[in-house]
Amino acid sequence: MTSTVMESRHLWKAYEAHLVAVKDVSFRIREGEIKLIFGPSGSGKSTFLRCLAMLTTPDKGDVFLRDVCLTKPGVDLNRARARIGFVFQHIWLFRHLTALDNVELALRRVLKLPKTEAKERALQALREVKVEEWAHHYPAQLSGGQQQRVGIARALARNPDIILLDEPTSALDPELTGEVIDTLRDLAKKGTTMLIVSHEMPFAREIADEMIFYDEGAIVETGPPEQFFTNPQSERAQKFMIRLIKKTKRE
Amino acid sequence: MSRKLSVAIVALLISLMLLLLAVYYGKFSMFGYIVKYLPLVLDGLILTIEVTLFGIFGGLALGTLLAIGDMYGGKAISTAIRLYVEFFRGSPIIIQLFIFLYVIPTLFHILIEPLTVGFAVFALNSAAYQKGYVKGAMEAVFEDQMTAGLSVGMSKPQIILYVILPQALRIVIPAWSNEFCSLTKSTAAVLVIGLRDLTAVGMTIVGQTWRILETYVFIAVLYFVWITAVTKIADVVYERKKIPGIEISV
Repeated sequence: MTSTVMESRHLWKAYEAHLVAVKDVSFRIREGEIKLIFGPSGSGKSTFLRCLAMLTTPDKGDVFLRDVCLTKPGVDLNRARARIGFVFQHIWLFRHLTALDNVELALRRVLKLPKTEAKERALQALREVKVEEWAHHYPAQLSGGQQQRVGIARALARNPDIILLDEPTSALDPELTGEVIDTLRDLAKKGTTMLIVSHEMPFAREIADEMIFYDEGAIVETGPPEQFFTNPQSERAQKFMIRLIKKTKRE
Repeated sequence: MSRKLSVAIVALLISLMLLLLAVYYGKFSMFGYIVKYLPLVLDGLILTIEVTLFGIFGGLALGTLLAIGDMYGGKAISTAIRLYVEFFRGSPIIIQLFIFLYVIPTLFHILIEPLTVGFAVFALNSAAYQKGYVKGAMEAVFEDQMTAGLSVGMSKPQIILYVILPQALRIVIPAWSNEFCSLTKSTAAVLVIGLRDLTAVGMTIVGQTWRILETYVFIAVLYFVWITAVTKIADVVYERKKIPGIEISV
């Protein structure tokens, strides 16, 4: 049996008393697995992902990265985050750095690699997401799709244990989502452990080992993609799938 | 753009040299009397430049630290910083100079040289203003860049140093240039603690010659050339350091 990479146990996060984004969520992902979270907007998917990377501090419950409990006081969160790749919906590259420097910065400052090695690895990461020729451009000079691929390169350059992707394509123009999806497909082939929040259904069906329907701060239903496309068990998932499939067809 | 600015700076410096030469050879007979005071004027100009440069760069360094302290230092530190800022922004600089020259030495039984007081007060005073500019600029780049930095495993100090400040200090240049203009002119206040800056030298010359108009025009031109040269350099630096996507709309 392959080992658990990341796990949450009874995780809670509320913004206000009536706005509970994560409600007692327990979840686990193993080495090489790809899981996909989907559900209505505002249901707390992003907050859940941020809690896993400890970018938002959960109120209650535990997060584990392999054997390390990230919610225990005194744990070195910077070191833990260095082993987690995170891709943001709104990309959030470092605006004053070129694509290459964006990827290189953490290799130099966090992994403390020497300059030449850091550069070599950063270029390698940019090559993997096929934006190598844009290495010396600033974020504002790149298209949204190129920017997001640099964002993915930044996340994977450290060889993280897992990559968390928060709606990586939803801020992009429809004609640019394809190139980002292709990049994710390549990562999937290489066996990268990924947890993706996404509503790209054909893509989900193709690569996800498991889909998770998330609504009102809780996991409502989990199962293989086929279950959701042919026979969702919960009523809420059924309704959501119908809406989603209609929308996908329109597009 | 930056080329035009360089030309402007060179033109200004040349006209200053021509002015000084004309004065020196008495061609500009109206200003001829100044020749014998030129060494004195030069001393005053140098003092003014020294106080200004120390004030502006000391103020930038201290102001940046104050901005960081205000944002991350917790409640006590942030309150202390606000009090500091209110004191230096809310009282006349002449009174600040007197406080540092007379009150503080008396309280602590130490002796502070007037020159040290001049340097220190202008750096402390300018820091109070520059803290505001730097903090505003940091807040403008803050939120998403901080989260992005945390997500790759950097510590907060590393993110401030490598991500937030490089962006904030670029944005702050135009405001900094304004601060420089206002600081240069207010350095004239050091004459109240007996320092012989450019304005003080002007007053001395007027006292000896009674040539009020010519002397002050001459002194004013020197201020003008110095301020214009530096602000143009700041414009050039702003243009050179500009990165696509990081600009301010004034």
